[in-house]
Amino acid sequence: MNIIWSNLPFLLQGAYYTLLITIVSMFFGSILAVIVAIARLKGNRPIRWLARAYVSIIRGTPTLVQIIIIYYGLADYGLNLKPLTAAYIALSISIGAYLSETLRGAIQAIPKGQYEAAYASGMTPIQTMRRIILPQAIRIAIPPAGNTFIGMLKETSLVSVITVTELLRSAQLLIAQYYVYMPFYLAIAVMYWILSTGFSFILERIEKRLSIYE
Amino acid sequence: MIKTNDLSKSFSGLEVLKKINLSVATGEVVAILGPSGSGKSTLLRCFNGLEELSGGRIQVGEIEVDANQSPRERNKQIRKIRLNTGMVFQQFNLYPHKTVLQNVVEALLIVKKSPKEKAITIGENLLSRVGLIEKKDQYPQRLSGGQQQRVAIARALAMEPDLMLFDEPTSALDPELVDEVLAVIKELAHTGMTMVIVTHEMEFAREVADRIVFMADGVVVEEGTAEEFFSHPKTERARRFLKIEEVI
Repeated sequence: MNIIWSNLPFLLQGAYYTLLITIVSMFFGSILAVIVAIARLKGNRPIRWLARAYVSIIRGTPTLVQIIIIYYGLADYGLNLKPLTAAYIALSISIGAYLSETLRGAIQAIPKGQYEAAYASGMTPIQTMRRIILPQAIRIAIPPAGNTFIGMLKETSLVSVITVTELLRSAQLLIAQYYVYMPFYLAIAVMYWILSTGFSFILERIEKRLSIYE
Repeated sequence: MIKTNDLSKSFSGLEVLKKINLSVATGEVVAILGPSGSGKSTLLRCFNGLEELSGGRIQVGEIEVDANQSPRERNKQIRKIRLNTGMVFQQFNLYPHKTVLQNVVEALLIVKKSPKEKAITIGENLLSRVGLIEKKDQYPQRLSGGQQQRVAIARALAMEPDLMLFDEPTSALDPELVDEVLAVIKELAHTGMTMVIVTHEMEFAREVADRIVFMADGVVVEEGTAEEFFSHPKTERARRFLKIEEVI
């Protein structure tokens, strides 16, 4: 137990990176998801096709492979990304694909009458989407998106392979130093669990807040 | 106010409106009656571009929409029409995530870009007019159907339209809630607003409408003053609709 306490600052720094990567990817992934979901529903044929291809490729390949391609693969073409940058990009692209599907379903669940009321009052399609449809769709999408976010929190462990010192890699580095496994792995497991639980709690609060109108 | 020329509409090959020629004068209240599937709602929805024309032309105010225009040109024209036209739907279609007052002022703020205080004043006045000012901070879900429809009418009026379209405004309401909505519409009719009302409420149509347009199978079968239509329908189809027995 003592080696955990004495190395806690190092592990906490790992937890900080885990959290940072999760939040940054969530943020950019969500923006990407909105664009892709709308592109799939309202875009012209080439745009729809492009959005579909993106979702299909990202969902059909392992996140680990995507991370490695972006960090090591792109280096072949002289694009040397910092590990953390590569992690942000890879995970944003990954989460964007999953979230866009969730959001697409949510947008489709909004009754046609909502569009008609907005159009009839003179709103443009963009205003209608932004002011009327998306706020309702996001409310519907929050519970399934919460699952994706928590999944993402755990998937950040994958970026340890590109030398980002998040939780998993900080444990591995300590193990290399002390030659004991269990205490460090258990410690990070607990930290992952605490982070996930915290996330669930925040998401529940957001969900409650957004459902005041029901 | 409205003039249509050979207005036609088909849904995947099925002709729903067949060369409709109809006009509505400024200040006139017109009720469109007819059996289900006669195309009356579709016709109303063509007036503000919720349905695209398959053929013919339509003029609302000074603005013309033609089936032969490019989609871009047509959308531009339709948007102009919508800025001067309010619409009330059978299912209310209030925005559930916005309060009653927010529902009413939304288009003022977003489309007309009115200053917030001015929009709120207009919104509150309209809510007083439909008798719902004390509900202004409630969400629509908490209101009865009749109250929701009155909010929807206030929302349509907020843009100060020259023309109001009502698409079966009481068909989704419980019978005891119909009257409160009809009262608001009647009051509006007395202000000289141009209105087109698709309805199944015969009594109401007779009382409020200057003119009745009777449709069946995608054509206007008969039109005339309310008195003419209800007392002396000219066509057999209208008589059947009104269930007037032929005396042999």
